[in-house]
Order: sequence, then structure tokens, then C-alpha cells
Amino acid sequence: MARLGWNDMVDFAKVICDEYKLFEGIELVPLETYEGMDTKPAWEFKAPMASGFYKPYLIKGSDKIEKITIGELHYMGRAKYCALNMTATDDYDLPIFACEFDETAPRVGVTTDFMPTVDIAVHEDYLKKYYSQIAGLWRKYRTIPGFTKEGRCLVQRRYGPWPWARETLSPFSLDGRVEEKEDRKKVMEAVVAYARVWLDLLEKAEPINDPDYKQEMLKRKKTMQKYYRDLDPGGEVMKKIFGEGKHHLFVSLVF
Amino acid sequence: MGEGIKWSPYLEKMREQMDQLKLSEIKEWSGYDLTPAREFKTAQVQGGFKAFHAEKIEKIGVGSFYFNKEIHHGFCTIIPDEDYDLPMFVSQWEEGEKEIRFLVDIMPTVDSLIDEEYRKRYLESVQPLWEKYASLPGICPEESDAIRSLCSIVYTAAKVPIDKEGLRLAALAPHTEYLKSYLNFLQEAYSIKDDTRRKEVKRKRGVIRDVLRKRFSGEIVCDSVSEALESNLQEQMVAILF
Repeated sequence: MARLGWNDMVDFAKVICDEYKLFEGIELVPLETYEGMDTKPAWEFKAPMASGFYKPYLIKGSDKIEKITIGELHYMGRAKYCALNMTATDDYDLPIFACEFDETAPRVGVTTDFMPTVDIAVHEDYLKKYYSQIAGLWRKYRTIPGFTKEGRCLVQRRYGPWPWARETLSPFSLDGRVEEKEDRKKVMEAVVAYARVWLDLLEKAEPINDPDYKQEMLKRKKTMQKYYRDLDPGGEVMKKIFGEGKHHLFVSLVF
Repeated sequence: MGEGIKWSPYLEKMREQMDQLKLSEIKEWSGYDLTPAREFKTAQVQGGFKAFHAEKIEKIGVGSFYFNKEIHHGFCTIIPDEDYDLPMFVSQWEEGEKEIRFLVDIMPTVDSLIDEEYRKRYLESVQPLWEKYASLPGICPEESDAIRSLCSIVYTAAKVPIDKEGLRLAALAPHTEYLKSYLNFLQEAYSIKDDTRRKEVKRKRGVIRDVLRKRFSGEIVCDSVSEALESNLQEQMVAILF
């Protein structure tokens, strides 16, 4: 089992933005206010035990984006809690792109997914529309050591203790614990591959016209956001470090 | 091939659990005479399927067959009466000489992300079994995208490599244990009072059954098995199970 030193850990935001150039050709503009909150305290923060950033953006010229947030929280020089979230506005039923990438010396705990904003079992068309492009990626990347271990494929098991969190996942989530340095890099490749598909789907997305469907979709979307903002197991630690106000801002940007 | 295999007692074990219920056989369903499927034998397949009715249950479908004496297929489904918001029980078993593939689940008939009480009652109560069987060799996601999208957060699926005989029974355990949990739900189930709820359940039940019917040939059973079953027999099986 590899134990990585701090300097060998993944520079999450840098890898996504600079190495993979995920947002090349897209002009990101800072999202200064979100749900009535000034986002600037999240752009760079420092406390005695933790420092980092959660940077929220919109896409210039697009009315389809609620937020794109990329962030890293560095904890005591021992752990990095990183996130990439891309959420469409309430007029679109796109799944929520969510990536949580928590790295410590022995391993990365990662979840990457398109979280469905409607009950995917009921809406067969939704499955075809939003998941056909990642089905192949899911099959490819679920074989990364850690996701698959000793002949057992354990994706969708990392969130074991939190049934509410498993409920938010699609049948194409990549989640698990990955140890080796090269495998951690492969995970980043998977994250970016999923993110590229999401951005492509965003470009093609059409607003919802059916008011009943929209109501159903919003109920689910808001329930998911509430779950993560209220129940995320990392939340209590964040509250202790940053206080209630900043905690609410940070988790709202990340989910 | 297959002659020396001590096949698992899938049907016997599932029937053992079912026999706790007062079952009455369904002989006709949606215009299909189901009686020819009770026992069948063709050049390639041999087996039997039956459908039953019970209190609070619209239909129980259970059966098994052998394909070329090389693959043992088993199925058990429970579709609750439409007056109840009970989940659907689905168990699918494909046993070969060297590998067993299976899926067992308690499929929710409402959106269990939104409905927390439903999730706690029917899914989180099964979570200890889901955790227990995570250590089974060959555990993996259900391969069919469409069927996986119907599954609950506690489904168990696997491709268990049979490198010692005890594994056949180990692979069967999730089916009987999930079934026991499901049968316990029946005792406490109460009929739906609310029309909105009734519509939600009706819609989701309909989609689940439709997807399973459409995916029977080619995904639930492979093309060669499907061809060997011939269309009449296959239609009867689908009518019995879904």
C-alpha cells in the first residue's frame, strides 16, 4: 500500500484546470452572490487548522448554469478535501455533476457521478438522454484498483453508512477508495472524462416545458441539496473550524 | 458438461419460504394460459414455472429451468397488490459449472430518495444483509444499465466464481435472506389511503414491470437461451414473473 507525502498528493484544481484544461474554450466568470450569500469569503480562506478555497463560477453568456464550484480544503497538512460541482439552473433537468475527492497519505476516497434530478427508474428517457455517453466510461473506470478489489467490484459502497447519500447516486457512480499513486491519477482522468460529457450535455440542454415534470424535478433536486448541506458527515468538522455561517456558505457552494 | 455438477437447490429453498403464505395458483394471466409452463421439456430446456396469488400480493412468480444441462436458471418475483406501496421482490439466478451470476433486490415502488420513511422501513432495514453479503466473492454491480436503474440502494448482485462447492450455497443465501425480510414486510403492510400516493406507486410499478418484461430476452436470459425457450414458453414465463 502506498503512503503519499503531502507534496505527492494530487493538486486537484490544478490538474483539472491546467493539465486537463477542462474549461478551455469556456469563459468562467466569478459567481459573487449565491442564494443571497456573498461568496468572497470562500474564494480563499485560512483558519488555524485549515486553509483552501471554494471558487464558484458561472459561464459567460450562458443562462443554463446555477454554479460551477471547484475547491480544495487542506487540513493540517494531512488531508485534502476537494470538490468539483456543476449544477444547472432550475429550468434544466440535467443531473448534478458531483465529485468529492478526499485524499490522505494512505488513500483517496472518491465519488464522481451524475446525480439524477428525477427518479431514473420512472423516467426511462432520462437514462438514455443523460447516461448513454457515460455508460462506457463507467465500465472502463470501475476497473481501477480500489474500485475493484480482489475480484469484487465495490462501486456504490463507499457511502455505505449513509443510505440518504446512496439514494442520490446514479447507476453510473464511480466511488470507492483508491491507494496507489498511479491509480489516483487514473481517477482524475475519470473525473475529467465525466465532466467533459456533462459540459457537452449542458451545451445541448433544452429548458423544461412541462410544469408537472419541472415540479417533480425541483422537489428531488432541492431534497438532494438539503441532504448534503445538512447531513454531510464532514459538516460538523467544518462548523467547528469555520463557524456556522461559513460552513453554510461552503457546503452550499460545494453542493 | 454439467453432468457432475451438484446444482444448488434454488427452487426448493425459495419455495420453502413461500410456503409460509396461503398460496393459490394463478392459471391464466392477461389472456395467457400459464399451465403449459408448469412443467416443460424440449430438446434444450427442462423446468417449470408457476404463478400464485396470496393476501396483499397480486402475483408471485417462481420457477427454474436447465439449459442444455449446463446452465441452471432460477427466478422468483413478488408483485404486491396495487393497493399496497410494498416494494417488488426480484431474484434472478444463473448457475453454471464455474460461475453463478445473480441479482436479488427489493425494488422500491416510490422515489425512496424523497420518501425517507419508506426508505427506512423497506430498505434500511435490509441494509445489514447488504453489508453482510458485500464480502461474497465476485460481488459486483448488476450489468444491465436498465435493470440497475430500477434497483434499490440495497440490491446485491454478483458473479461468484465457483472454486469450491460451498460457494453455491453461499451465493444462494442472499436470496433466501432477502426473501425472508420481504415476507416480514407483508405482515405490517397497510393499504394506500391517498390518491396521489396510489398514482405514484401505479406509475413506478408499471415502469418496473415493463422494463423487466422487455429486458427478459437478451439481458435477463442470454439470446441463445431465449431462442431455445421458443416464443410461447417465453411469453408464459414473462407473464408469470412480471
